[in-house]
Amino acid sequence: MIRSRFSMLNKWRLCLFWGAAFWSLSASAQELAEGVQAHGFLSQSVVRTSDNNVGGNSDDELASDLRELGVNLSWRPNPDWLISGQALARWAGETDEGSLRLDYGFVDRTLYNSGEAQIGVRLGKIKNPYGFFNTTRDVAQTRPGVIMPQSIYLDQVRNFFLAAPGISLYGNADSDQGALSWQVSAMRPEVDDVDLEYMTFLRDLPGKFAGRNSWLGQVMLDRDGGRWRMGVSLGEMNMRYQPGRSPPLDLLGGTHRLPTWVLSVQHNSEDWTYTAEYAQTQVIARDYGSAFEDNTIESGYLQATRRFADSWQGYLRYDVLYLDRDDRNGMQFASPLPGAPPAHSRFAKDWVVGVRRDLDRLALSAEIHHVDGTAWLARVDNPVAGLVRKWDMLLLQAAWRF
Amino acid sequence: MRNLRFCSNGSALCGITLLLSLILPPGVAGAVDVIANKSVAVDSLSLASARAIFGMRQVKWPDGTPIRVFVLPDDHVLHGAVCKERLNIFPYQLRQSWDRLVYSGMAQAPSEAMSEEELLNKVAATPGAIGYVRKVKANDPVKILNVE
Repeated sequence: MIRSRFSMLNKWRLCLFWGAAFWSLSASAQELAEGVQAHGFLSQSVVRTSDNNVGGNSDDELASDLRELGVNLSWRPNPDWLISGQALARWAGETDEGSLRLDYGFVDRTLYNSGEAQIGVRLGKIKNPYGFFNTTRDVAQTRPGVIMPQSIYLDQVRNFFLAAPGISLYGNADSDQGALSWQVSAMRPEVDDVDLEYMTFLRDLPGKFAGRNSWLGQVMLDRDGGRWRMGVSLGEMNMRYQPGRSPPLDLLGGTHRLPTWVLSVQHNSEDWTYTAEYAQTQVIARDYGSAFEDNTIESGYLQATRRFADSWQGYLRYDVLYLDRDDRNGMQFASPLPGAPPAHSRFAKDWVVGVRRDLDRLALSAEIHHVDGTAWLARVDNPVAGLVRKWDMLLLQAAWRF
Repeated sequence: MRNLRFCSNGSALCGITLLLSLILPPGVAGAVDVIANKSVAVDSLSLASARAIFGMRQVKWPDGTPIRVFVLPDDHVLHGAVCKERLNIFPYQLRQSWDRLVYSGMAQAPSEAMSEEELLNKVAATPGAIGYVRKVKANDPVKILNVE
């Protein structure tokens, strides 16, 4: 009790510190000097669930452990060079406790520029292009709702997919019909999601994962000034498990390969935006001294967003995640053994309805979820014994950016 | 508030004209001009180039001079007009694409002016600058860029 009070106090202090740092930075101009810009974002959410926990202890209580804070700097010494970096602190229940980290930091060099087409290279820690929203998933204003559609943008593997040290080749081409952009990255992913072992082994083991050489690419086409946006992202993310103990206390070493692809389509009109994304990720485990069956994660969502007068918008989303495409209801997976994860931990079908109002740089949002399934809940916040299959959630969020 | 400021030296008619210009199809009203600093050695832009420049993807002029983009706030009526009439894109999409670039470090944001007058002055004073105004007057110290 005392310890939890202490850590609570510490959290608030940390918050206050970052808040103050943020406000003082944002008070100065965005344009700090010739070619130097600073930008940032800040969000705070509160959440209440009928069952299960999101962002702390939200089950029939109000949890406020959902917070994001980021500041970036960029410097363009001349048109062919760009140096940029962003620091991020994020709080999300037990899975993320506000430690400060480098979100991205890289050097960008334009190799070719014909006016309407550019080709360039980036070197450093680079955001991974994956679907429409991955690169800015921590900036509330850029998300399609209070939280990301969890099917494709699963928070449990966010760091794995978010950004990685590596090299990236990219290009843009603008024509009167539309704009084409592409990016291919080779990197070694950072594997520090606390939930990753629960995801892959269903338990926390003594060893840990390390990233192996991986690649991701994306092609995005904006037709007719972005009335239609279409994209394909694909790649293969790889990691290796290094055991911390000898069997039977741990597994032998092994590798996980995750070939993945996402299809993204969006239609924009003055008042409406329709968005659909669909993804499949294979999970291929090798070695470990134990047989893991390969499986395919299937996910997708559909969203309609309506813009009203005075910067109001409303949206409706249906979001589905199956952790095994060949066992969508989890019946083959479920085991009668006590303490085994239930069948409903293998899927989640989420209806979301939300509203948002933008007041200049501030955005206020509210969102209600009705969920069947528990596949995307953070295991560290949700012990198996307490999981409830059908649950509801209310989220309120205030977000500010500069 | 901003509309009022924008119309402060005109009359209620100014508001009506702007409203009409938004309702009428592009090209009929022509309520907004894309302008550039007089040092810019370009007289016209293709639609693709104009979108690439205001989208912050194209950052230098053909002669290598850095492009400096000046815009008005998202909800300014003139910003809506340049998006729809000149760039044929919705203002919310331009905002989304700026945010995507700025918060992933892939490009810098345009510079924001708080009023049309401030924007005009900044474009006039900054080499390589591009922006927009309602209508260029004969003695304004900037040049008009035709977007084709």
